[in-house]
Amino acid sequence: MAELADKTNLHIKPQKRMSPWAVARRKFMKNKLAMVSLFFLMTISILSFLAPYITTADISRVNIGSMSLEPSAEHWFGTDKSGRDVFTRLLYGGRVSLLVGISCTMLIIMFGTLIGALAGFFGGLVDTMLMRFTDFILNFPLLVFVIVLNAVFFGKLGGVPVLIAVISVLGWGGVARLVRSKILSEKENEYILSAISIGSRPSKVILKHLIPNVLSTIIVQATITFAAMIVVESGLSYLGFGVPAETPSWGNMLSASREPDVLQNMPWIWIPPALTLIITILSINFIGEGIKDALNPKSLR
Amino acid sequence: MLKYTIRRILGMIPMLLLISIVVFSLALSMPGDPFGGEIDPNNTDPEYIEKMREEAGLNDPVHVQYARWIANFVQGDFGESTRYKMPVSELIAERMPNTIFLGVTSLIITYILAFAMGMYAGRKPYTAGDNFIGGLNYLGLAIPSYIAGVFAIYFFSFKLGWFPFSGSIDIRLTEGTLEWYLSRLHHVFLPAVVLGALGTASYTQFLRNDIIESSRKDYVRTARAKGTPESKIYNKHILRNSIIPLITFLGFDIVTLISGAIITEAIFTYPGIGQLFLDSINSRDFPVIMTLTMMFSFLVLFGNMVADLLYGIVDPRIRVD
Repeated sequence: MAELADKTNLHIKPQKRMSPWAVARRKFMKNKLAMVSLFFLMTISILSFLAPYITTADISRVNIGSMSLEPSAEHWFGTDKSGRDVFTRLLYGGRVSLLVGISCTMLIIMFGTLIGALAGFFGGLVDTMLMRFTDFILNFPLLVFVIVLNAVFFGKLGGVPVLIAVISVLGWGGVARLVRSKILSEKENEYILSAISIGSRPSKVILKHLIPNVLSTIIVQATITFAAMIVVESGLSYLGFGVPAETPSWGNMLSASREPDVLQNMPWIWIPPALTLIITILSINFIGEGIKDALNPKSLR
Repeated sequence: MLKYTIRRILGMIPMLLLISIVVFSLALSMPGDPFGGEIDPNNTDPEYIEKMREEAGLNDPVHVQYARWIANFVQGDFGESTRYKMPVSELIAERMPNTIFLGVTSLIITYILAFAMGMYAGRKPYTAGDNFIGGLNYLGLAIPSYIAGVFAIYFFSFKLGWFPFSGSIDIRLTEGTLEWYLSRLHHVFLPAVVLGALGTASYTQFLRNDIIESSRKDYVRTARAKGTPESKIYNKHILRNSIIPLITFLGFDIVTLISGAIITEAIFTYPGIGQLFLDSINSRDFPVIMTLTMMFSFLVLFGNMVADLLYGIVDPRIRVD
């Protein structure tokens, strides 16, 4: 084994005493596809979150004078059926879509990691109980129950925070399972045994020793979840059960294409959000692949 | 194996009961009366409404209502749709064939695409063709079905006029004729391609990797040494071994097809179960919502169980106890 490790090291030729993170960063920076994707994602995010400073157009006001205009110098991507500028709405929509995606991802990763780590570390009855609960959550078809819950909260509570909460509550099962299996194999290592034997508290063992060692898996899972959540949000909004219709989001803008007239004759209304979604999801996937590659000590790139 | 199967099936029952409790509580907390279907909406006399509520059992304690609902449900009485004024079971039976037809067609398309691409990529790995197929799969995984569907309608229905963009059948045709069947196929094709493309990527990648792995095994070397033609090695010896693990995907396909059907049917306004579900949510048709939600959950449970069982059958090394 040692010989093999020496041979692989010859290929990478790392500088002296580079930390694993520095090695990973260097590998990531060399990955052109991932860097281009990162650039795209950053550009889209910055443009979206600075939307109020970039454009002055009003996104909510219905403008009867300029309904369904084709793209022109004044309206880069034209206007929609209510006379609102598509480009402006695209920027504002990005804020909502990315916000929902990031929030859901963070909640899902945090909760999934917590449950998975507890179940994996303690084992026994705790493990059985938590995993039964996880199985229970995993048995709910996400899309169906988000739609039903949306109907329950209809009129009473609503809007983006409720959507984020509902998706997160139903979505953490997969992460919990993954983290549990990683923790299960990681805790067999001797350094964990020695940490426990010198009297470290379970919370310290989990936070200081176990989580950092399964972090690469969690980070990769986070990128996958991020892309998946953007798909879920825009899919729900497309069906009319996601972000409220008056708030622009990429899914809501895309749902305009459910009118055959818009779909057939006014492609400038729905093609921009569709393409932005595709590019964003692809970028996130490429970044995820890049991170996975960079964090994998066996890959030679 | 039989013992394990029976245990898995019995294990589904408590899970289904828990889910039914969740569904029932959700229905109770929805705005409006979940079981008010029998009350005439035009009669607003409070006394009449009170009498009807009493008769429908809506004033009973919650657990009595739940017990009555679940007892009827298990016996196949799902209640009456408040919108269509007909039993839910009939309503579902009417829509079900369309969804099954869509699901089966999309599975066939998945298999055809995945086999063609996976076998090619597995036989010629790391070539331009393999990379191209890999790229296609990447796109297929990344592009959500609704975006693919919207583009498909725009190009193939509106620009080229090859396929209809909505419905499941040309209503002018009489049932049973050849044209009728062709029209159904014509209508289902585009949604089925969009739905089927979803699963293709994972099948293709699996098949490719498995073929590459198998091609290094001893039995393949033996076959080569005996002088078996290369095409026969790939199409017979290796493929037979690589197909088996693919069967386990079938269970997960059930799960994918459910959520896929809801979105795809909405894009193509295809009158199936998914469309019925969205319609009933919009019109607050509680008996239909509850029945369909239970049905979807059951199918997910069933799909996961099938996947687990198939794992055991395909790979006896997986211990089932």
